[in-house]
Amino acid sequence: MRSIQRRLSLGLVGVLLVVGLLLAQASLWLFDLGLRRYLESGLREEAESLLIALVRGPSGMQLDEQRLAPGYQQPFSGHYFRIDFAEQTWRSRSSWDRELSQPQRVGLQAELGDGPRAQQLLIYRADYRRFGHELSISVAQDYTPVLDSFKRMQRLGLGFGLGAVLLILLLQRWTVRRALRPLEEVRLQIAQLQQGLRGELDSRVPEELEPLVAQINHLLAHTDASLKRSRHALGNLGHGLKTPLAVLVSLTGRAELSPALRSSLQQPLAQIEQRLSRELGRARLAGEALPGAHFDCGKELPGLFATLRVIHGADLALSWEAAPGLRLPWDREDLLELLGNLLDNAGKWADVQVRLSIVQEPGCYRLQVDDDGPGIAAQVRQDVLDRGSRLDEQVAGHGLGLAIVRDIVEAWNGHLQLLDSPLGGLRVSVELPLRATGR
Amino acid sequence: MRLLLVEDHVPLADELLASLGRQGYAVDWLADGRDALHQGASEPYDLIVLDLGLPGIPGLELLQRWRSGGLVTPVLILTARDSWAERIEGLKAGADDYLCKPFHPEELQLRIQALLRRAHGLANQPQLQAAGLQLDEERQCVSRAGVAIELTGAEFRLLRYFMLHAGQLLSKSHLAEHLYDGETARDSNVLEVLVNRLRRKLGTEVIETRRGQGYRFGAPGS
Repeated sequence: MRSIQRRLSLGLVGVLLVVGLLLAQASLWLFDLGLRRYLESGLREEAESLLIALVRGPSGMQLDEQRLAPGYQQPFSGHYFRIDFAEQTWRSRSSWDRELSQPQRVGLQAELGDGPRAQQLLIYRADYRRFGHELSISVAQDYTPVLDSFKRMQRLGLGFGLGAVLLILLLQRWTVRRALRPLEEVRLQIAQLQQGLRGELDSRVPEELEPLVAQINHLLAHTDASLKRSRHALGNLGHGLKTPLAVLVSLTGRAELSPALRSSLQQPLAQIEQRLSRELGRARLAGEALPGAHFDCGKELPGLFATLRVIHGADLALSWEAAPGLRLPWDREDLLELLGNLLDNAGKWADVQVRLSIVQEPGCYRLQVDDDGPGIAAQVRQDVLDRGSRLDEQVAGHGLGLAIVRDIVEAWNGHLQLLDSPLGGLRVSVELPLRATGR
Repeated sequence: MRLLLVEDHVPLADELLASLGRQGYAVDWLADGRDALHQGASEPYDLIVLDLGLPGIPGLELLQRWRSGGLVTPVLILTARDSWAERIEGLKAGADDYLCKPFHPEELQLRIQALLRRAHGLANQPQLQAAGLQLDEERQCVSRAGVAIELTGAEFRLLRYFMLHAGQLLSKSHLAEHLYDGETARDSNVLEVLVNRLRRKLGTEVIETRRGQGYRFGAPGS
């Protein structure tokens, strides 16, 4: 989709060019027409004065030189005439060796005639009758200076026109940018929304945008509320199922049961429990649905680490590093689940140290959990990752926890890797790609 | 050790009462949050096992109100809500440990033992040790220098309490409050008999009698 700004500019340039050219050309044409009319009356007067200059002389009809305008005497002056009568043709001295051709029709000629020295001539022909002779008088005037000035005007007009178009474009750009600023702000806010920097759009927008922003905010609130509702319902379901399950698990410990019966009860119960935990955990995931979601490292990690310290005791050195103010654009509960499980696993296997680092890299975030435990041999790492997907083969430790981690990472199109840790144990590296934002 | 169990699911509560009783804990059971709010703060419990989905007052709010009221008794949350966000919330509200349902009874037993030891500053011991004695809470017997000494249930309960409070002066009424649940008649003569039986098994110097004040276990120099 092209930007509105560019579209408006292109449209405006097109309209301005077409209208401007039409207008300029039409006004030139009208001016030319008016000028020719004006010159026509001058030429008629000249033809008439030539007629008056025709006098009856001793050898028939002759032209009274005294009465001729000086322009007709001077060569190439731009004023020419030609008088045709009987079998004779007289022409002005100014036309020198070049003969002015006689136009076909009476009146001002629409076409410009060729004159001497590349002059373009405006020609007028009038027919008279004098002293019993049929006369045809053609007068011509050089039109080249006018044409030249027209060309000059065209060039000037083109220059001015282009300047005006440029100015208008700049002004339009400025106006459009001003008018579209609210849109731009909304665009920025949506980008922030996707980066998890804000929870909803600012509702103070021009009224044209109000329904859009209100609708987006409504959708956000709705998604958030339905996520909360479904998590609550899942929590209730879990509570409702796991409490009786706890009773059953407790009952299997009774001494009245034979060992064989006990183990054949315990195994399916364990399967039910694992299945339940996995599916409930998976159903709780927000995944990519929430654009306003975010995880504030500085705010959430201390609580998580305090919890882990309670679980693993004060002997385990748990530490984390993340840039101050770092916010990850994913749901808080999902990320807590991801990090909680990874760190809990690391804590189970670690000797004395577990370290988390969260780094923003171009295009992704990298989460790394290191421990100084025994680690996992390179050749069995893939098995450990796969085991998460086969519920019946799970063992405590790098088992169910890693399965839910895999579910979360997959929901975010991320990448999970098991590597050697510089601390000596296992490094779990999670690469989470940034979601595409506005630009 | 006297425990308060707050759990509204009756079959689970029955199971827990039975198994905790077998492990020598005196347990009071409440199913409603409102009752628990009052009783948890007024009775001298050594530990509270709290379910979160309670009628009356939700478990988390109950815990927050206890803590803001100055209650320092260790609280173990027992819940089906096992997400990390909920665990963090629970511990922020003032819980000391968090156990997810369903759980194995042994797991609960271990958590309770660990929590009690931690609450008495004995966090790092795999077994309870005091005054040269080692208490095996699993088998309910005590050993000194590798020699196992069998105990009856009542003796075990009293000795465990003594060992968790080694060096402290404990009055008879204090002991009675912490060894019996709210419904058992408390007879101080029974306590005297038990103390004498323990002295016979472990040596008279282990428990010192302060006339009119009470008993002291593992006094310095003994």
